[in-house]
Amino acid sequence: MVSKTLTVKNPSGLHLRPAGVLAKAAGKCASNVTIVYNEKTIVCKSVLNIMAAGIKTGSEIVLQCDGATEAEDLATLAELIESGLGE
Amino acid sequence: MTTLSVKKTSSKGIVIGKPFIVENPDLSADRTPSKDSAAEIVLFEDALEKTQDELSELAAASDIFEGHLMIAMDNSISDAVIAKINEGSNAQVALEDTVAEFAMIFEMMEDEYMKERSADVKDVGNRVMRKLKGIAGSSLSDINEKVILVAKDLASSDTAIIDLNYVMGFITELGGVTSHVSIIARNLELPALVGVNGIMNAVKKDDTIIMDAGKGIIIINPDAETIAKYEKLAEEFRKHQAMLKELNHLPPVTIDGHQVSLCANVGNIEEIKQAIKNNIDGIGLFRSEFLYMENSHFPTEEEQFKVYKEAAELLEGKEVTIRTLDIGGDKSLPYYTFDPEENPFLGWRAIRISLDLKDVFKAQLKALLRASAYGYIRIMFPMIISVEELEAAKAILEECKQDLKLSGIPYDENIQIGIMIETPASVACVEQFAQMVDFFSIGTNDLTQYMLCVDRGNKKLASMYNSFHPAVLNSIQNVITTAHKYNVKCGMCGEFASDARAAKLLLGMGLDEFSMSAGEVPNVKYLIRNSNYLAEKEHTAEVLKNTKIADIIAALGEEE
Repeated sequence: MVSKTLTVKNPSGLHLRPAGVLAKAAGKCASNVTIVYNEKTIVCKSVLNIMAAGIKTGSEIVLQCDGATEAEDLATLAELIESGLGE
Repeated sequence: MTTLSVKKTSSKGIVIGKPFIVENPDLSADRTPSKDSAAEIVLFEDALEKTQDELSELAAASDIFEGHLMIAMDNSISDAVIAKINEGSNAQVALEDTVAEFAMIFEMMEDEYMKERSADVKDVGNRVMRKLKGIAGSSLSDINEKVILVAKDLASSDTAIIDLNYVMGFITELGGVTSHVSIIARNLELPALVGVNGIMNAVKKDDTIIMDAGKGIIIINPDAETIAKYEKLAEEFRKHQAMLKELNHLPPVTIDGHQVSLCANVGNIEEIKQAIKNNIDGIGLFRSEFLYMENSHFPTEEEQFKVYKEAAELLEGKEVTIRTLDIGGDKSLPYYTFDPEENPFLGWRAIRISLDLKDVFKAQLKALLRASAYGYIRIMFPMIISVEELEAAKAILEECKQDLKLSGIPYDENIQIGIMIETPASVACVEQFAQMVDFFSIGTNDLTQYMLCVDRGNKKLASMYNSFHPAVLNSIQNVITTAHKYNVKCGMCGEFASDARAAKLLLGMGLDEFSMSAGEVPNVKYLIRNSNYLAEKEHTAEVLKNTKIADIIAALGEEE
């Protein structure tokens, strides 16, 4: 498993739209994608799970990928989150 | 023929037509035990797929549905439903329970935005349930002739699929004047009545209805004579509206050239957006309470700043008078417990709370000051009874200015401050107050109640609560005259300012600013533009010589 610590930059946190973008991208990855936030592990392929975590702007999250394509998946998703998830 | 009368008008107008009754089918789950899990899963997956297809189509046209589509595509819902079916539930029960669980997660969140997402989850759940129960898709999209919509309530996802060209008016059992339906109706200038108890049972499919939203009247199956009468009224209303519309871009100036300010009272940003369409001179009263009441904590400086800044920018340099927190024992905040009081209206409220909770007050004042860099903001303190209170409030404002100055944050150095005149004490001491402020705003509802010691909510005293009482009228005249002596602008932000008889009287008293709900602005503008200031001034002096309410009202003549 590989992981990376990131800061959420979206002004309103991970609300419906950015969470949707992230869930869609995670859905395309072959590895298992999770986020650790506030000591909770969130399954990243579900928009509802991401939203329900209530991740606010400025929060630190740990993105984790586990599987055959983990290295490239982590790089793709980390870049997406850092670029603001389409916002 | 049945007549219903309704108190709350959310948008005026008169229409005659057939109702379209929005059915609310029973969407609760059928609790028959599941016999075959595999078959139930197929049923659910089929319903979900149909829902996804339907939403993909809708999403192309509307953002609301794009969000709903994301939720419908989410594996965590289908996984949870399928897991429940495998545990023995039927598809409907599994769906109902799953949706309830997800909705609850969102409802429990602190963030307002996230809380509202529970409605989206339920909306999507209802859509899937319709498919499972074989209830035809929301029939609202099938409307293809002119109708009056009658519904329990209408959500944004309902009105998004209606062809609004076919809607003549709205009647709903639930909802308030600020609900979604009300806003849509005012935007489209369609009549709407909300909070109409029992309308769903009173109206049937083939009935004919007349709705006079301005008067709050609904007539079901009227006779020919009544229809003829209302057809005539509807025509007159249209003509009157057209005439008022022509006045929209003209200033509120009398025949003999005396100009006043015509402003709107608002309670949130949405109302400001509506109000500026009436070409108002400004916002005479922006009630800041919604920031406190629709919140989970005392609003932060930052949260308030955003709202005040938006208000200032929307008005593009025209006045925005913002009243500091005006709350008391009769209202409550979800995050703050007020001690029970025997006399909340004479209790710990308004400025008294602000002066005691200094940090809460400072957050509001700093937000107001910061927003003043983006437009013309005026700060107004409510419920002032003493010079000491006003001095204390001004001292705290001064502290806030110094804090901002030290941090290098810009604000309007000459920001205007004023007070509400709504207590007998403020009337008695008006000469002192006039030397301490830039403006007054008379709040006639509270002033009448406090001046006459009459509870305006007490039905037994309804006939005694009357702003035409000479004690009230003479107080108003005294306040205006004293204000002018010290070059202080005097406005009024009570309902009285939009009363046709009162407006002329107030014009004659020399009132500078009339502030009212935005819908009343065109009527008062018409009245002012057809008045002669000097004649009203003389007439007012005559009217005020009367000592009895009945004589005063008689002297004012018939209501127009």
